[in-house]
This record gives sequence, structure tokens and C-alpha cells, in this order.
Amino acid sequence: MRQLSIMVDLDRCIGCKTCIVACRNHHDIIDHENDQPGAIPNYLRVESKLEGTFPSLQEDYWVVMCQHCKKTPCAKVCEVGAITKDEQTGIVLIDQEKCNGCGECIDKCPYKVIQFNKQNNYAHKCNMCYDRVTHGLDPVCVDVCLTDALSFGEKEILLMQAEADGKQVIKKMSTQSIIYTKTP
Amino acid sequence: MYEDGWIPTVCYQCKAECAILARVEDGVVKEVKGNPRGRGKACVKGMAGITSLYSSERLKYPMKRVGERGSGKFERITWDEAMGIMETKLTELRDRGEAHKFTYSMFPHSVTDPKWRFVNACGGFISTGLPHCDSAKIMAHMHTFGCFPNHHIAPMYNTVPKGGLMILSGRHPFGCLDDACVPKHILDAKARGAKLIVIDPIYRTEASKADWWIPIKPGGDASLFLGVCNYLLANDLHDKEFCDKWVREGDMESLKAYIADKTPQAMSKICGVPAADIEKLAKMVAEAPSACIDAFKSIMYGNGMDWGHAWSTFLVITGNLDNPGGQPLPEIAPMAPVEPVPAGPDLGELGYHRTGKNREKFDNYNFFLEPTWYAAQAIKDDGLKVFFASECNPALSEMGSGEWRKAVTMKDENGDYKLELLVVTEIMPSETMKWADLVLPDQTNFERWELLYMPWWYNFGHGTALCQPVVEPIGEARHANRVFIELGKRMFPEYFAFKDDVEYYDIELAGVGMSVKKLQENGGLWSPGTAGFRKYEDQGKFNTPSGKIELEWQMYKDIGQEWPSPELPLEYRRGEEEFPFILVNFRTIFLNNTGAWSQNNAQLRDPASGLDANPCLLNPIDAKKLGIADGDTVTMESGSGKVEVPIMLTEKIIPGCAGIIHGFGQTMGKVASRGNWIGDNELIADAGSTLDEQDMRGGEAHVSTRVKIYK
Repeated sequence: MRQLSIMVDLDRCIGCKTCIVACRNHHDIIDHENDQPGAIPNYLRVESKLEGTFPSLQEDYWVVMCQHCKKTPCAKVCEVGAITKDEQTGIVLIDQEKCNGCGECIDKCPYKVIQFNKQNNYAHKCNMCYDRVTHGLDPVCVDVCLTDALSFGEKEILLMQAEADGKQVIKKMSTQSIIYTKTP
Repeated sequence: MYEDGWIPTVCYQCKAECAILARVEDGVVKEVKGNPRGRGKACVKGMAGITSLYSSERLKYPMKRVGERGSGKFERITWDEAMGIMETKLTELRDRGEAHKFTYSMFPHSVTDPKWRFVNACGGFISTGLPHCDSAKIMAHMHTFGCFPNHHIAPMYNTVPKGGLMILSGRHPFGCLDDACVPKHILDAKARGAKLIVIDPIYRTEASKADWWIPIKPGGDASLFLGVCNYLLANDLHDKEFCDKWVREGDMESLKAYIADKTPQAMSKICGVPAADIEKLAKMVAEAPSACIDAFKSIMYGNGMDWGHAWSTFLVITGNLDNPGGQPLPEIAPMAPVEPVPAGPDLGELGYHRTGKNREKFDNYNFFLEPTWYAAQAIKDDGLKVFFASECNPALSEMGSGEWRKAVTMKDENGDYKLELLVVTEIMPSETMKWADLVLPDQTNFERWELLYMPWWYNFGHGTALCQPVVEPIGEARHANRVFIELGKRMFPEYFAFKDDVEYYDIELAGVGMSVKKLQENGGLWSPGTAGFRKYEDQGKFNTPSGKIELEWQMYKDIGQEWPSPELPLEYRRGEEEFPFILVNFRTIFLNNTGAWSQNNAQLRDPASGLDANPCLLNPIDAKKLGIADGDTVTMESGSGKVEVPIMLTEKIIPGCAGIIHGFGQTMGKVASRGNWIGDNELIADAGSTLDEQDMRGGEAHVSTRVKIYK
């Protein structure tokens, strides 16, 4: 199966969260007029890890989103077959027409990236901007990334690119379609 | 009238004003991104600008205060009534010969901002709408090499060569108060082999990407770089050819004599950076093809001018002026004047603070605008009678904000407010609005016209960008520029003979052969395409009185300040026993921290996409001594005030310092008011009442104090 991927360069991610808000805007998942902090869905989240003690420190930032897993634990528990892995792109999609809002996929997702839309009673998540990538565009998060820490393409090509740049793929975070890299 | 699609305009979620594209669909802004023709980036604040536009808390019509100032109670009025109130008061002020007692606190968006024109026509003053965070840099660079930079004029990171040094000294460009392309430019330069050195008491995102993080005592920058200069000169590692050609005769000898005892060992004792590291930095500079410095917090301390002087000296002796990877000397787009041009008040005659009482102290004060921080004192001294504020928030985001709030409620013997009129233009409820007599609903950058060409841009002033309305304005909101053009037409028709703001910009644009329409057709941007290097070589001189670089500031000889002092700021050198911690306030990318539009933005105050809390950062070593645990709520107290704040223990902060994000604490608005009152300015003294801490040459102590921390 073809697999489209996003590569996150930890040498360049500054944890600014621009991608999060751009994603909300593009997918229209925010009610700008009435939303309150904490009630706003987000398909992406930023994590960080600080190591060392003062003054020898190292901190990394990275963005976490749907990993578009090969083995799709979310799809496996979906009783109504609303979650599928698209053959053409490798993107995991939720069909909101079919979704009955049971929430099983939310519990099963190992990355905790599926959201529940209370208003419409369905699950939703990052679809790697299926609407854009099938028209030859990058996902929005990649398009707007402040530092060009994100890149998009065929997984195999991105891995070759990382190798050519001397980057190390961080294995514990790269078992799925999203690739995390850093200079060793 | 309005088109669908991606429309070029300009962001205004902070002062950097990045060129953006807004996607409009059925008359609604849906998305924002950087304009690829203008370096192509917009940060998280820019993305969240849509929330400011469509917030349910938008101010939609003019309001007049009912009840006392500070009660925050208003009633709706018409625009005509609001205009009448302002016209009547300003006319009365002028008729009694006190036009200079009018100050408009604003951030001018161009050097001929229509609001500024209005103030000049009135004979009042402007202050920059935020503390003069960069006045020390501006004055230091002007004195030394005649350059007019500003804090937005970062070094040209896109020109830093392989091996070049990018030095950030208390600067936070990943916080995007620079153009949003700057973080990418820094990381691109690093990727091609430049080195990033971050000097900061707190390990922040910049430090996480740095080749070398140098923790330093706050305010120690001047001593650190004097130590570097000492080493370079003592070891003949400076750019001798450049200095021989361009530095005023005698200045190098005087500098060497002055700096002889500023050895790395001696300076280490002041700044806390090991002498070996100061020497290492000097050697790196000597070997590098270029070096640039960008600083921000450190130019806001009481020794900001000393630091600016040391910084300028460093750039000169290393030959890093207007070269790739060095300090740019900006140019301003040659716009046409809108004749006749009002002259404005005479600073020489009226004095910078124009209040009388402290006038002598200001004799050497050199900044070209009124000091914002002096407002509270000027009200007390009857030197300020009418105060307008746009895109600023003095009740919250300027030092001594508590004193400001007290001053605006002071009354005279007749029971009238000493400050006779306080007008605020605002997009959403702000802290300052609470005290206003008139609140005028302003427009976001998606609803207004504005022409931007400024020396404080990352494009070095050599270009223009058009902010154009992409959707219908909300309610009765009117942009402040239009309001004051209209008021100008009523009061000074000779200076406001043009039709409206668009015609005003058309006249200005004729200077570069453009018009608003042509600019629209040109993707919203105009640029000659080059910034140019080493322009002083073409000119054969620097823009100083002697035409040469002036290292020794001879005009300050009578006050013994012709050379930079290496000492820490006065406010850090006293009260150490009672207040053992130095307060370090800092910025983040998630808040503008000045206006209400980012304070009250649900996305920027969301835990997932912004910040909703402002804990005090403390090193675990200090916490252990105090018996404080992570998450404890403590009292942080300075000589000026105290706040309750939760503690976050972190290895990221140098022991002996307490870190807090600048600008929290708003109580107005349903979003911001969720947070506790933990504004850092509650701890910082009103600068007017602590004049001995101010550097009266143009540097300003407005972020710094010592604190004690207890449970």
C-alpha cells in the first residue's frame, strides 16, 4: 500500500503550535465566536522533553498527530466500519456519516489523537488534509510550519531524504506513518 | 465588494506586521497563512487572528463611561457624540495654551501614521504605546554609527554566512515579535554552518536550538561584551583595517585606555560568566566571518544604554556593520509627504517630559518620543490632561501599571479628575478600557486599510505592504486612523484636505511610483528588491556629526558617561538582602502581551494551542532553600507590590532568578479574566517615581526589580 507521511525534524521544531491553529482553521473545527479555552478540538498536539540539569540541558519539541497506523487499532474496534485506511494514500479516514459516536476508537487509540464532536455525536481526527493532498497540496500543518520542521511525501522518499541529510529516525516514535528525525 | 479567495493583507496580532494571505469564503475569513511574496510565514498569533475578528466580545459601538473611572460601566453612544466629546476637550485644551498636555499612546504603523499626524497638528505628543523597549538600542546605535534601528530590525539572518555567529542576548526571536520568518532564517543559517549562541538567564526555545547557551546574570550583557572587547583589543584580534578607516581619530586609543581593566576576569565577577567562556566567545568572534547581536530584554534594564554602547562598540571593532551577517543599517522607503505637513511640538522648547518638575533631570534624555512610562507622574504633576490610547494597554502591560491606574483616578480640589479625558480605541475589552471615559470600537487587520513602511521592519524599512479590508467590518467598528482623520477634518481641515485614508496612502505611495490600486495588483507588496550592504562606503561617511564612527560619546563627558559602565543595573545592586531574587520577565509566542486582542483570544489562551497560566519559574536549588515544592502557591513581593503565583520548578532558570511571563493579569473579558491576577508589572515600580534607576540618556529601567518569595 502507498503510504503518505509527514516527517517531523526535531532539530527545527520550536513547539510554537502554529500548526495546531492552522489545522483548526482549515478543518473548520472551531467556533471562533463562542469557543472557550479547553473546549476547542485539536487534531495536533505539541510535546516536549527536557533532559539534564542546569546548566547542561537539552530540550526537544515535536508535534503529535494521527499516526495513520498500519494496523489501525481504531478501525478494528469500530463496529459500524466507519474507519478505513485509504488504499491510495495510506491515510486513515473516519466516515462521519457512518460513525455512531460510540467512542471505542478514542479509547483504543494509542496516541490519544481522536476527538469527539459532542455537537454532532461523531469521532473525528487528523486526515492528513485528505482534501488537500489528493489535489497535490501539502497538509496545512506542513504548509504553515514556521521553521519548515515538517515535510510531506511518500514515506520511503522521506526516509531516504532523512538519511541523505544525516538524520536519525527516532525509532520509538516512527513505527507508524509519521516520521520523527533528529541529528544524532 | 469583497472577493473570495486568498487575499493579501497584513497581520496585526503583534507589532511585527507580517505579510499574510487571508482566505475568504462567502464573506468570512476562514484561513490565514504567510504571503509567499513577503517571506511567507505567519505564527500562531497570526493564525488565531480570525478568532479576534469573530470573537463574541468584539466591541461593536462607541461607549461613554457611566459611574467612576475603574468601574468599567459604559453606555452606548453615537459616533457623532464621541467625536464631539473629543473635539470639545481638545479645543478647550488648545485654547488655554495647553495643547502639549495631550498625549496619544500608540504604536505608529508608519513614520507618517495618520494618528501621529493628528497629534502633531494638535501640538501634543506621542508615546509609542508600549514601553520604550528599544530606545537604548536606537540611541546607542545612532550615537555611535548614526544608524536608526529598532528592536524589529533583527540582524539579517538570511545573509549570515557559513561560520558566522548569531548571538542572541536576552532576545527571543522564536517568540515572533520579529517577522514570523525569522525563526526559519535563524535555523536555515544554522543548517548552512552558522553558529547560534544564546545568552540568557533562562533556557528557552532558542537555547534548545543553540550551539552554545551562556547563562548570565540579568543585566550582565554590558560587562560580558566589554570583556570580549578587551580580549579582542588586547590580543590584536579586532578588525584593524575597518577601525583605521572609519573610526574617528583618537577614539580607538581612548577606547583601549578605557577598556584596559575590563578584562574577562574582572568582567566575569560582574556578569557571572566564567572568564574562560568570555575568552572563548572572543576567540570565536575573531575567527568568524561575521557576528551579529540581537538583544531585547537586556536593553530594557536601567543599564540599557551602557549595554547598547558596549554592543555598538563590539560591532564596530569587529567590523560588523552593514555586512552580510552583521548589523544592518536600514533604509526607509522614499514615500511622498502629504502636504502641508504639521510641524508638531518643539521638544527642545517643551522638554521631553514637559511637566516642569523633573525637567532638569531630563536634560540629557535623548529619545525622540515621549517616555510612555512617565504618564502616571505627568498626571500627578498636572502635565498630562488628555490621554488617548490605541493598541496599547498601560493599565496592565507597562511598568508601574498600578501607579497608572491610581493616577487616572486622582481628582483635584474641585472633585474633577486631574486627567480630564481618557480615550481608548480597542477591538476587545482591555484592562485600560476599564478606566476610559470613551471607548471607541476599533477594527482588526481584516477590516481596515493601512499602509506599512517603517524603519523597524525586518525588511529594513525598504519596502511597503498594504493592509486591506478583506471582509465587512463588525458592528460600528471604525479603524482609529479613520477616526482621527475625520476628527482632523473637523479641527484642522488644512492638514486633512485629502478624502480619506486610501487617498492619503495614494499620495504617499506616489513617492515610489505606486498607488493603493497598483499595490493591490502587485500582491499587496512593493520592494526595490535589495537592502544593500556597506552603504557607508557609497556615501563615504556615517550619519554622525563627524561622519565617522564615534565610540566615545563626548556629549556625555560632563556627566561622566562617555564610556559604557560594566556595572549591573542599579535596581539589581541594591536591596539584595531583603529581596534576594532578580525578577526576569519574558515573552512567549502565544501572546502579544500588550493589547487585549491576544489576551482575550480563546485559541491563544487554550491549553493545547497557547498558554492559560503564568507560573513563576524557580530553580530547584532555590526552592529547596525556601522549602517550596513544585506547584505551591507563593507570594512574590517587590518594593512596589506583591502577587500570588504558582511555582514551577525547572532546571531552565539560573539560580537566584525568578521567571515570569510578561503581560498576564487582565481582568476584563471572559477569556482573560479566567486567569489569576499575576501581572508582572504589579511588581515593577512606576518609572516616574524611581527616576534614579532610569538612564536619562534614553535607556529605561522598565522590566527589572528584585523580589522575595514566601509561602
